[in-house]
Amino acid sequence: MSGDGDGFNPAAVAQPVEDVQGDGRWMSQHTRFVQECKDGEPDVLFVGDSMVQLMQQYEVWRELFSPLHALNFGIGGDNTCNVLWRLQNGELENIRPKIVVVWVGTNNHEHTAEQVAGGILSIAKLLTSRLPKAKVVVLGLLPRGERPNPLREKNATVNDFLRSWLPRLGQAQFLDVSGDFVHSDGTISAQVMFDFLHLTSTGYRAVAKPLSDLLLQILEETPEERRASLV
Amino acid sequence: MSADERNPAATPTPCEDTQGDGRWMSMHHRFLSDSKDKEPDVLFVGDFLVQLMHQFGVWRQLFSPLHALNFGVGCDATQHVLWRLTNGELDHISPKIVVLWVGTQNRGHTAEQICGGIMEIVQVVKNKLPHAHTLVLGLLPRGKSPNPLRERNAKVNQLVREAVAYLPHASFLNVDPGFVHSNGSISHQDMYDYLHLSPQAYQAVCEPLHAHLKSMLDKSAEN
Ligand SMILES: [Ca+2]
Repeated sequence: MSGDGDGFNPAAVAQPVEDVQGDGRWMSQHTRFVQECKDGEPDVLFVGDSMVQLMQQYEVWRELFSPLHALNFGIGGDNTCNVLWRLQNGELENIRPKIVVVWVGTNNHEHTAEQVAGGILSIAKLLTSRLPKAKVVVLGLLPRGERPNPLREKNATVNDFLRSWLPRLGQAQFLDVSGDFVHSDGTISAQVMFDFLHLTSTGYRAVAKPLSDLLLQILEETPEERRASLV
Repeated sequence: MSADERNPAATPTPCEDTQGDGRWMSMHHRFLSDSKDKEPDVLFVGDFLVQLMHQFGVWRQLFSPLHALNFGVGCDATQHVLWRLTNGELDHISPKIVVLWVGTQNRGHTAEQICGGIMEIVQVVKNKLPHAHTLVLGLLPRGKSPNPLRERNAKVNQLVREAVAYLPHASFLNVDPGFVHSNGSISHQDMYDYLHLSPQAYQAVCEPLHAHLKSMLDKSAEN
């Protein structure tokens, strides 16, 4: 598989989350996001799983991303299929963000690294076709688990695929934010990932700074005439 | 035979590592090592609602000064907390109060079973820490609109409240400041995913909880 869509990839099939718990929370969140598209004019759209969602609950969101007119469409537990479904079912209606930040894939437990990367690539392709003037920033998957384990290797492999595939889509780029999470002895500290997956406020700081720098740089590079034409 | 023998919510069970990164057991081991060099007066035990509280300012502001430890784990149900507490997490500490907040993640269990699980945890705490008091926090409503899980959680609260009423070593505290609006909906400003709390909602939950804990600790100091 070249990542260009030949062959069947289960991670690239749009799929809503089944309401197994019975309180309809996933659909309630999706419906709210669709409504927010009608009310807001975001310059930056974040979409993904709990890594995206939880960021909004920390100070760093108000400090670095709210001022960029950012919307947060993160839902805990989502995989690439679920994000694809949401984007195809209203979460891109009525908005024209200049940048879409995508962070999803660590929850694709039934898929291989290549499939996960293919699923993320499908999301990026959907975004570039629906928003031809937008830039797509794909965040690399983070290492997880206190000690070395197969999921860390899988996430690193997903990142390798993305690094080579994404530049082919002119408007998309890959940002590796996995920097300093793994110590020299191979462990990850609860100070940065409180459950060895989700980030503490300290962990989010480490991710948010390079991301915010990149977003500011892209927004500054957006020519005035193009900005005007987007209004 | 006792009903508990057949109650999966009251049977200590480790969380299966289906994802393959061993995070649940890593957290349990971290708690074990934390408990060896700390002398907490208050221990919080439960699921993600307990765990996430630790990440926000409210914890440092209200509970760190009470010498509190936080043993919250992601999507734990009562049977998982039971396993953790019967496998070392209470062996090296002697808190005066154990705050228990778990049950909303018990998938497929009835309100009666969940109450049985909570009461089993209360009993384990009593056996391991005869001088501690267990404060059981009421389960919160969940879901944007009325749904069966809200009713189940409310039923659990009613059952637990009755069950602890005559126990000298346990009590129940409703910490819902009124998350359900008059039209039946819950706001994402309070529960960002209609289950987990935002920092502002933690503030609303934790201020009365803190006052309650403070008065319990003051009373125990008088005796
Ligand atoms: Ca009592």
